[in-house]
Parts: sequence; C-alpha cells; structure tokens
Amino acid sequence: MKSSRYLVAVPAALALALAGCGGSTGSSGDGSSDSGSSAGAPTDDSNCASEDVFCVGLVTDTGKVDDKSFNQSAHEGAQAAAEELGGFYKYIETQDAKDYAANMAQFTNKSYDVVVTVGFLMADATVEAAASNPDTMFIGVDQDYSEQAPEGTNITGLTFPADQAGYAAGFLAAQMTKTNKLGQVLGLEIPTVVAFAEGYKNGAKAVNPDISVATVYHPAGDNAFSDPVWGASEAKKQLSQGVDVIFGAGGGTGNGALQEVAKSSGAGTDTFCIGVDSDQWETVPAAHPCLLTSAMKLISQGVTDTVTAASENGEFEDVQTTGEVGLAPYHDFDSTVPEDVKTKVADVVSQLQDGSLETGVTL
Amino acid sequence: MAWVMRNRVTVGLLAVVVVAAYVFYWAANDIAPSMYVSAWGYAIPLVLAALVGVIGERSGVVNIGIEGQMLIAAFAGFFTAAATGSILVGVLVGVGSGLVAGAFLAWTTVRWRMDQIIAGVVLNIVATGITSFYYTPGKILPGVIPNLDIPVLQDIPLVGEVFFSGRSWIATVAILAAIGIHLLLFHTRWGLRTRAVGEYPSAADTAGINVERLRLVNVTIAGSLAGLAGVYLSMDASSSFERGMTAGRGFLALAIMIMGAWRPLRAFAMALFFGFVNAVASQLQQSGLGVDGEPSGFLEWLLAAVTSPQILATLPYVAVLVVLGLAAGRVRAPGAVGQPYVKGDQ
Repeated sequence: MKSSRYLVAVPAALALALAGCGGSTGSSGDGSSDSGSSAGAPTDDSNCASEDVFCVGLVTDTGKVDDKSFNQSAHEGAQAAAEELGGFYKYIETQDAKDYAANMAQFTNKSYDVVVTVGFLMADATVEAAASNPDTMFIGVDQDYSEQAPEGTNITGLTFPADQAGYAAGFLAAQMTKTNKLGQVLGLEIPTVVAFAEGYKNGAKAVNPDISVATVYHPAGDNAFSDPVWGASEAKKQLSQGVDVIFGAGGGTGNGALQEVAKSSGAGTDTFCIGVDSDQWETVPAAHPCLLTSAMKLISQGVTDTVTAASENGEFEDVQTTGEVGLAPYHDFDSTVPEDVKTKVADVVSQLQDGSLETGVTL
Repeated sequence: MAWVMRNRVTVGLLAVVVVAAYVFYWAANDIAPSMYVSAWGYAIPLVLAALVGVIGERSGVVNIGIEGQMLIAAFAGFFTAAATGSILVGVLVGVGSGLVAGAFLAWTTVRWRMDQIIAGVVLNIVATGITSFYYTPGKILPGVIPNLDIPVLQDIPLVGEVFFSGRSWIATVAILAAIGIHLLLFHTRWGLRTRAVGEYPSAADTAGINVERLRLVNVTIAGSLAGLAGVYLSMDASSSFERGMTAGRGFLALAIMIMGAWRPLRAFAMALFFGFVNAVASQLQQSGLGVDGEPSGFLEWLLAAVTSPQILATLPYVAVLVVLGLAAGRVRAPGAVGQPYVKGDQ
C-alpha cells in the first residue's frame, strides 16, 4: 500500500509545526556567575510567599529575551531591578499566544510579588490575572488599559510617549536634510505607530514648516510588521523622489526600509535613516551605513523604575505609568552631526521629558 | 499580419497600455519613473512564482505550496549566505531548497497520489514552522547580489530604466524565464507533451508519454523558480529574513496565474499591472491626498475614508476582482488539473 505512506507524512508535519509549543524559562539562579553580586539573594522561588523574599517574574510576548528589541529590553530592566533589590528573577518565553494565562499562572501560583508582561497583545490576559490575584502586582509593558479600566491597585500599564520619540527624530532629521524632503515607512496604522509618525512630522515642521514628509503605512494586517520587501520598495521609491532622511518604524517592515537606504549610493553622506523602539545600531547591523540614530523607548529603565516603585509602595498610584523616551547614540555618525544640531536636539529631548515642550500630537 | 489580426484585442490593448505608460512617464516625470520601478520590483517575485504555478497546472498539478517553497528558499538562502560569507553559495542553496520543496510536492502528489491541496498546505505549514523556529535575528548578508545593466537596452527611456538597469540579474532571469517558458510551452515537443499531460493524461499515456515522470520532473524543476523568487525576497529586494516574509505573495501569484489564463507572458503582464496598481495605492497615500486632521462635512469625510491607507490598500485587490470578472468564462484551467493520474483507471 503505497498510498498509506502519506498517513505518516501529515502527522509528522504537524508534529514539526507544533514542536515549538510550551515555553522555555530561565532565572537568576541558573548561573552563579551572573548573580554573584547579590550574595544574599534567593536562588529559587520556593519562598516567594514569604514577606522577606522578593520575586519578580517576566512573561514575554511570543518572542525571546534575546530578541534585541522589546522583550530583551524589558527582560534586562526586570533583571536589573531584581538584582538591585536582592530579589529572585525568572522569565518565561511565550511560544503561543494562547499560553499567556498559563505562563502567568506559573508565577502567581508561587505567589510572586511582581509579574511583568511584555507587549500590548497581552493586555487582556494581564488584566484578568490581576483581578484574580490581588496579592501579586502586575506591570504590563506597552499596555494601555483605558478600555479595560481594571479596578485593583495591583496593576499598571507602562507606556511610552512614542510621539515624543518621533518628534525628537523628526527634529533631528529636519536639520540633516538637504532636499527638505523627509520620508517615513511605517508598519500597521495602530496608535503607537501613528504617534511615532505624527510626532516625526510635527518635529520636522517645528524646524522648518516647508519640509514635506512622505508617509506610508503598510496596508495589510497580518504581516504589516514583517514585510521588509515592502518596506525596502517604499524606501527606494521615496529616495528616487528626492527624500533623503527616512524614518523606518514598524518592526521588520521598517528595518527593510533602513536597509534599503543603507544600500543607496549616497548612504551616510547624502541619505540617512532613523530607527525605532530600541537602539537599532545593535539590532540591524545592515543599516550601519545610514543609521543616524533611533527614536527609542527607554524600556529597560522604565521597567526597573516601575518594579522598584512596586516593591517600595506595595501598590501602584495609577493604572497607567508613563516611561521616558529619547534618541539612541549617534555611533559612527557622531562626527557627521554638527555640534550645534546635537545641542539643539538634546535640548528638545530634555524639554520633552520634563513636559515643557508639547508635540502637538493628539490621537 | 495574420497573427496581429488573430490577436487584435491583445495587440490593441498592449498598444494602449504602452502609449498611456509613456504619456504618464513624460507628464509626471518626478514620480512616474519611481512608480514604474517600484511596480516592477513588486512584480519580479510574482512573475517567478506565477511561472511555477503555470508549469505545475499545465502538467496537471495544483501547486498551492508556492508560498512555502518561497519561504524555505528565502530562509535557506539568507542564512546560508550569512553563515558562509558567500552570496553565491546562498543563492545556490536557496534555489536548491526550492527545488527540494518542489520535489517533495511532486513526490507526494504524483507518486503517492496525495490530495494536491493538502500536500500544498502541508508544505506551507512545514515551511512556516521550520523557518520561524530556526530564525535568528541580527544576521547580515556578506554583500549584495550584483546589478546587471544591459548595454544599449538600458538607454531606452522608461523600458530601459525600469527593466534593464539598476536591478540584479534575478530580474533579468524573470524576464527571460517568462519568454522562455512561453516558447517552450507552445513551440516545443516538451511543451506539447506537458500540455497533453495536463489536459488529458490518459490520451497522452496512450500516445506513449510517461505521465508520472513528466509531472514529477516538471513540478520539481519549477521549484527552482520558486526558490529564486524566495532568494529575491530575502537577499535582493530586502537584505533580511523575517518570519512569514513571503506575506501571501505565493497565493497572489496563483491569482495572477489565473488572470494570465495559465499563459506565461500574460501572467507577466498581469504581475506588472498588479505591481503598478500597488505603486499607485502607496503613491496616493504618500502624496497626502487625505484630509489633515478631523474631517468636516460629508465630502471631506468621504475623501478621508476613501484615501485612508486601509481603503487604498484594497485597490490592487479590487483591480484583480475586476479583471477576473472581465475574464470570467473566457479563460479555462487545464482539464486534468488537480487529479492524480492512475494508469489504467480511466
């Protein structure tokens, strides 16, 4: 029976596809070398229920803690906070969106003090977990609870004013352009991305109202953040229409745009690109020839501060906590960007952070 | 002349399109060239992938696994190039992996007579699973695929600018493949046999053609074109691999194959048309036709709605629907498509 062979092939294929399910974990007790500084720190989570033992757990979005982006920043922030406070830290990498609740339960069952959940897709699961576990404090990174309106004081959403980061990037871009044409290649038109984009526009117009900003959002839903081919093609089109600074904001799609600018003939002298979210000098090495800076959310710092505040106060003041944003270092372009521009940009960033400068973006 | 008379609709349409393209090219010289370049860039992988579909279905095998074949090739090509430091090795491995994926599909559907749709779906699922699982961020390509500017031809306004300069050799291969497969399908013995096997396999069998072997070979070799399309995505059009980066282009290619009536050159034209509508959609968005701020009044609201990225994004698909609607009843799939051939059954 030849035809019976494929009865094996299909389950085998499914098994392959499903092989990734479950979750991988890691903790501060895993290696003695990296937790050597905190001599008195607990090495496992068996005593988390005790008053004296401070335990921090982190659940990633479907990504890994070494993704050089969102998850990694949050992971480093939480780890730093646990070390500082002499606590125990453990993370779980979610493999599938349906495991959010189960992964959080692994921490709440052991009475962890603080659970950090990363990514805006986990907002609903986090609110639910917070309601049924009043003794654990939840921090939702990049989660906005204005729609769920959770009641407890054990939950806060840590968000970052993307419009400010975009504004600073636009302010810099406007001083670097020679053609007075800026561009941006964006992921899906969702609030965070729109905030970046509108901020970028307003920042540029603040320098010179005559500057034009070509703006394109990725049209399709499912792969809007993982379509570097589309991003590259849009960047190429903008470049040939005279745009000389391109802001790529939208995961892999934006990275595609950065790489296209890096490949263009005037990269680093006439054409520049600006990254987003984290310092993309680290994440997209292919963009080095053009990458001026990145419009950054200071996620690590935000998570550390919020975890520390949670351990001190035992409750959150507000259901929403606002982190800070800034621009990444200029790296190789440190000498390309004129000193007076650097000073002006630094001024704008600090004014944005202390609230004395408004971006004018309303969503 | 007889040929022109027989194909007067096609020739007439072609002439109109070419004239319109040149008029737009001269009239809007600031944006038109870049739109054409972007249209062709978008069309390259679609042309290659549609050719895979054409060869498969002309031989009687539905290939909905093109998406998976491209994804595997994009993955294998990119990471091999990054690991070995050689673009050439990466390209070869990418194309080779497309070939292997094609062989998998051929073997399961032709030899084992597995349902062709299911085999394609399996291929897509396996491709997504494997490439997502083994994906590692932060890798870079050791270089770029070299550009191929064709002398003389590249100096033709519009055509030279779009097709014959500033693109890598993969683009040239796509053009040659479309022309070559057209000639092969309709003017050689192999082409006649392939079409016979796809239309009426038992008749072909009676005439002494080895149906199973021809299908196996065709579907397998077509896989290399899917491989090239995948390599183009991760190593030429962009320089990175992302999970699921084929983004439905394999399925789009099947639609283009149908719009092109299972003919290579028409599929080529349809891919270009699709690419152009896509470029128009993003250009409209970029030029900011939309309304700034809150729309006031019904007309502004309507304009804002129509020019929102979500609605503009449907433009290419609306165009596809219109074309398919116009073509309905005029095009016909190969007769034996989707049916495994069992010797002596008919």
